[in-house]
Amino acid sequence: MSALPVLDLKDASSFPSRRVEAWKYSDLRKFLREAPQLSPSATIPLVGGGPFEALGGEAMVFVNGRPVDASARVVCGEQTVRLRLISKAEGTGHAVAARISARAGAKLLVLETHEGEGAGYVAHNRLELDLAEGAEVTRIVLTDEPGDVLSVTQAAVRLARGARYRQTIVASGAKLQRLETEVSHPGHGADVRLDGAYVLDGSRHADLTSVVDHLGREGTTSQLTKGVVKDTARGVFQGKIIVERGADGTDARMGHHALILSERGEVDAKPELIIYADEVQCAHGNTVGNLDANALFYMQQRGLPLDEARALLTGAFLMEVIDRIETEGPREVVREWLTARL
Amino acid sequence: MAAVKETVEAVAALEKYAHGFTSDIEQEFAPKGLNADIVRFISEKKGEPEWMLEWRLAAFERWQAMEEPTWASVRYDPVDYQDLYYYAAPKKKAGPKSLDEVDPELLEVYAKLGIPLKEQEVLAGVEGAPKVAVDAVFDSVSVVTTFKKELAKAGVIFLPMSEAIREHPELVRQYLGSVVPVSDNYFAALNSAVFSDGSFVYIPPGVRCPMELSTYFRINASQTGQFERTLIIADKGSYVSYLEGCTAPMRDENQLHAAVVELVALDDAEIKYSTVQNWYPGDAEGRGGIYNFVTKRADCRGDRSKVSWTQVETGSAVTWKYPSCLLKGEESSGEFYSIAITNGHQQADTGTKMVHLGKNSKSRIIAKAVSAGKSDSTYRGLVSVHPKATGVRNFTQCDSLLIGKDCGSHTIPYIEAKNGSAHLEHEATTTRLSEDQLFYAQQRGLSEEEAVALLVNGFVRDVLQELPMEFAVEAQKLVAISLEGSVG
Repeated sequence: MSALPVLDLKDASSFPSRRVEAWKYSDLRKFLREAPQLSPSATIPLVGGGPFEALGGEAMVFVNGRPVDASARVVCGEQTVRLRLISKAEGTGHAVAARISARAGAKLLVLETHEGEGAGYVAHNRLELDLAEGAEVTRIVLTDEPGDVLSVTQAAVRLARGARYRQTIVASGAKLQRLETEVSHPGHGADVRLDGAYVLDGSRHADLTSVVDHLGREGTTSQLTKGVVKDTARGVFQGKIIVERGADGTDARMGHHALILSERGEVDAKPELIIYADEVQCAHGNTVGNLDANALFYMQQRGLPLDEARALLTGAFLMEVIDRIETEGPREVVREWLTARL
Repeated sequence: MAAVKETVEAVAALEKYAHGFTSDIEQEFAPKGLNADIVRFISEKKGEPEWMLEWRLAAFERWQAMEEPTWASVRYDPVDYQDLYYYAAPKKKAGPKSLDEVDPELLEVYAKLGIPLKEQEVLAGVEGAPKVAVDAVFDSVSVVTTFKKELAKAGVIFLPMSEAIREHPELVRQYLGSVVPVSDNYFAALNSAVFSDGSFVYIPPGVRCPMELSTYFRINASQTGQFERTLIIADKGSYVSYLEGCTAPMRDENQLHAAVVELVALDDAEIKYSTVQNWYPGDAEGRGGIYNFVTKRADCRGDRSKVSWTQVETGSAVTWKYPSCLLKGEESSGEFYSIAITNGHQQADTGTKMVHLGKNSKSRIIAKAVSAGKSDSTYRGLVSVHPKATGVRNFTQCDSLLIGKDCGSHTIPYIEAKNGSAHLEHEATTTRLSEDQLFYAQQRGLSEEEAVALLVNGFVRDVLQELPMEFAVEAQKLVAISLEGSVG
């Protein structure tokens, strides 16, 4: 059973309001009361393959919810898939349903981009990822959407024993942007890393929500999310780690750290541990604050202008998340992408 | 090591629930069930003025329109509100003038509980211990309040709530319901309608209360709900330390305890509120026990005011409480130190709320949860910073310890920062008792149970240190006793 409510764009009664606990800080219903009209089909220019184009691999493209090629893929061996979710719409809505399965022993790099053009659209992406025994999947997500759109991505990740899953989400927000990840963790050597970073300005909102359910013995999870909010932006982090009865030997760590760089920025965090086994090591840490005044002063003393000093410190703060990406190619693309937005 | 030895002895000497006796005291009951007439009956019994009755009736009306909340991580059989007695009092002719007139059986109850009702007595074993004024509440009424005269000399008002309503109506009227409004939540509304007694404390400006104040609550009669109401007002520049203890007999059925505690701290005032909650937790199979659904809130209205909550929660079948601080004053501060120990089939969903509204307000939360047996324990907390509250600081630490395969321990913190100058830190850990440490302690000659008690006492030490000294010794024993039977 899914721990998070399932959304259906065609059914307005499925739009959660903040009264739904899991959507407490992202009131979708406030902005969306009725089911939106379906977005028309659109074409994309033939040139330009998204931010990760230079890294090659096969493209799996959706435009306004419609697959250009296929909506499901089975991967064996070593492969890179550039999953491009493109929205080109004005005030309409569309839904993507994509599925990727990694066969036993496969090594897959999913480079996912949310590319938006237009205004006021509603995008809903549902992604299913299945990892067979010993499979290794790295998912890297970059979002670049207009500030007045609603965008919800729900990923369900199922691991078999011994599988490894790595995820880094870099969110730049929208009017309401939510990136959910739900992981079914079987333990027995399976290993999960769920990271995230958000940089928000204007009145943008981004919500990184995750649920990791440890079902079996000896599983590990490591989570690190860092965010920066400016102006009146709002960052949300909700992380839940569940250790079910019998999932002894679980080791789970979660960290969320945010900087508020303006008077009226907002950060809401809810890091949860739900534990039913005693032989576990679980911890979470959460901090919210602003830049260290002493460090800023020191840098200014050494001749750096205030803005530059700020950008340097903020960059250093966020890059800890990016440094955890193991594959060099995408790591450097993400680093550049993020630096340009600071 | 004396304290450790004492703990070990306490474990050996005491029954699982030492306060489980009942006393055969002639009681006066209101008819079972709840309706407007019962509310009128209670008000009349207390000889309350018209405004108080109206306040209660309005609360009752609100309560009827409300639904029982279900969001806490606790499961329990629904309470049949019509199958409870809302008023039970030891029968007496007129109000006792002195301790000599109090029913000797009742005095015996308190003697058994170790509560000093005679003023010359001080707590046993503590040489030169400070005096403690006690208000003893038995089911629905306050039995006796000690040291009234000495307190009056300092200008401190320490009275049962029912007397305070008669003697200081202006104060009660000004502050009652001003921190926890009548319709705040389901149980607070119920309490407002039917509360029977509790303590009222007023500390005048600039006065440091000359002794610890203490209220002792006891549920005795069966099928009785206890709904006490406590109101403490610390006027400008004053200080008071208040202790609260609770016990109940062992019974098969679940008894309801729905209290409301309101604290008001004005400029530069400080209130230290300590609770040792040891209601009957139910038997080994999870039958019986107290439902402890309590609303406790402090309003730090004044600049530089301070409220410190310390709680040791070892009893009750189901606990549902969040002692909170509304930090309205500039540079006001709130503290919450908590030990929640659950064993058997106990469930506890407890924590705190620190609502930062004033500039440069500070808060500190230290919560330690120990779960054993088949019990479930949840820390649920909120730290929120209002957009206009600049310079806010918070530090939160939640540690959970699990003993055994069948228990659960959960941490659900909410952090809401709406101001860029806030510094909020939160950390939480969940682990089990270290096998190495257990092994070491056992090697040195302690039994497994003694070793567990020793380690757990170490785990909760940060909080025990915050308790007033007389209570800390008691609490340490209680920690050991509540974990009895959790290993092996």
